[in-house]
Amino acid sequence: MTHAGSQPADDYTIDELMAVCIARQVQDGEILAHGMATPLVAAGYILAQRTHASHAYFASAIGQGVVRDWAPLSITRAETLWLGKALTHVSFVVIAADLLRAFAPKEFFRPAQIDSSGNFNNVAIGSSYERPRLRLPGVAGIPDVSVHSSQMYLYVPRHSRAVFVPRVDWITGLGHHPDRQEGSGPRYLVSDLGQFDWYDGRMRLITVHRGVSIQRIMAKTGFDLAVAAHVQETPAPTREQIRLLREEIDPLGVRRLETLAGAARRDLMRAILEQEAALDTRD
Amino acid sequence: MTDRLLSLTEAVTLVQPGHTLGLGGNMLYRRPVAFVYELLRQPDPPRDLTLLCFTAGYESDLLVGAGLVRQTRTCYFGLEAFGFAPMFTQAANQGQVQVLEETEASLAYGIRARLAGVGFMPSTAWIGTDLLALRPDVKTVIDPYTGQELVAFPAIHCDVAVVHALVADRAGNARLNRNLGIDPELATIASQVVVTAETVVDKLSEDVDLPGVMVSAVVHAPRGAWPTSCYPHYSLDGSELLRYIEVCDNGQFDDYLRAYTGGR
Repeated sequence: MTHAGSQPADDYTIDELMAVCIARQVQDGEILAHGMATPLVAAGYILAQRTHASHAYFASAIGQGVVRDWAPLSITRAETLWLGKALTHVSFVVIAADLLRAFAPKEFFRPAQIDSSGNFNNVAIGSSYERPRLRLPGVAGIPDVSVHSSQMYLYVPRHSRAVFVPRVDWITGLGHHPDRQEGSGPRYLVSDLGQFDWYDGRMRLITVHRGVSIQRIMAKTGFDLAVAAHVQETPAPTREQIRLLREEIDPLGVRRLETLAGAARRDLMRAILEQEAALDTRD
Repeated sequence: MTDRLLSLTEAVTLVQPGHTLGLGGNMLYRRPVAFVYELLRQPDPPRDLTLLCFTAGYESDLLVGAGLVRQTRTCYFGLEAFGFAPMFTQAANQGQVQVLEETEASLAYGIRARLAGVGFMPSTAWIGTDLLALRPDVKTVIDPYTGQELVAFPAIHCDVAVVHALVADRAGNARLNRNLGIDPELATIASQVVVTAETVVDKLSEDVDLPGVMVSAVVHAPRGAWPTSCYPHYSLDGSELLRYIEVCDNGQFDDYLRAYTGGR
């Protein structure tokens, strides 16, 4: 990395800062589980692998493989990496029944609701399960892994009182819960407002992102948030990290699908698909 | 060698009302869409189906939207980066489809139990979460050696499994790609297995993922996974998926269905 590249960047966006925060949580040599439709996490993982964690392995949901290689983020071309460049593949039955405990991958989950203890919900919003206010796609392997994992990390692209709630409607991801028999509950959470850990079983603010006040985070959190003694600003990304994200890891901006909603998200999706179609024609 | 080649129209008659229908592939990849279109083309398609998928996507959303599904069994029902599966989400919000909540472990161990010929497989999954409240039919057992409470995932049954293959031979031997999902196990537990394939050849001699002995029917279905992908032959058709979501959001699912399945 050049001297200029290691300088802090002035010009960065929230999705880029979150990807960098995710990358900083990765240690070299780890196995990193890629979830389904989590491009912000994928951007952070690849950034880590391209910088300080060159021996990281990826465990993929697409293709159920182990991958050392990487490719720019994509919607329609993801299989070129996950199927074309994997070291090995198994079926999902083998992953779920035989391998997840042994491999103990680090994984970033995105809760739809989370409480102060780090219990989270991804099944449905509303107190009636039969007639929910909003049925969510489903919990995949979260209720299986969260009960024993010590490698559970979380991210919330849009911090709000709808997500950070006093009590989740359903616990589908086990937090720092009295019934826990193994593992640790979530260790870390990054949102678009700050970074958090768990202290004495309670979620605790540790850094605020640039331009965000502690008061604003408390106002957007639906429970009594613990605050670390010396809350500082989240360190800015380096210029080289931003260059890698924009030019090499995610030139199409797929990561931003996680921070946008509604029409803006649809427009970005269309733009990405058009650019990928152009790439297909060129190949 | 037994010839198991059938037309799509013949193959869909294997699915009977009330059946558990297992659909292969994963997320938006290698899903048996042509089979689903054909099923929906039937004048009197089978209803009260239990839909069994590792993850359910576009192909399953069509079946829910058409009202053929009584119950879903999957650990994820959605369109990945494209968001919610519109017809499933609507039906689930309104209580019009019964969701039997599954996770990766409940599906994996449920399949393993069936394969082992036992009623359940024990696991540490779910303990402490609300999943046991969402699935009151799932019981726990005490480990006779340690006294630990474990979840006893019940064996899963499947009447007809449908898997889309890159290539199959007339005897049913089929080659998938490396995005297996749970296809090998799903095909093994199913009473009947339909393979739809991009290409059908006389005889495959290597690299077979599904041996023909477990396959009931082979169907030639070129581009049979569209608009989901069939790597390396074609990638997923994102603009079609966007269009589908938009049409459903505008309340025009029936028109969409009619356009693909003829004037039903």
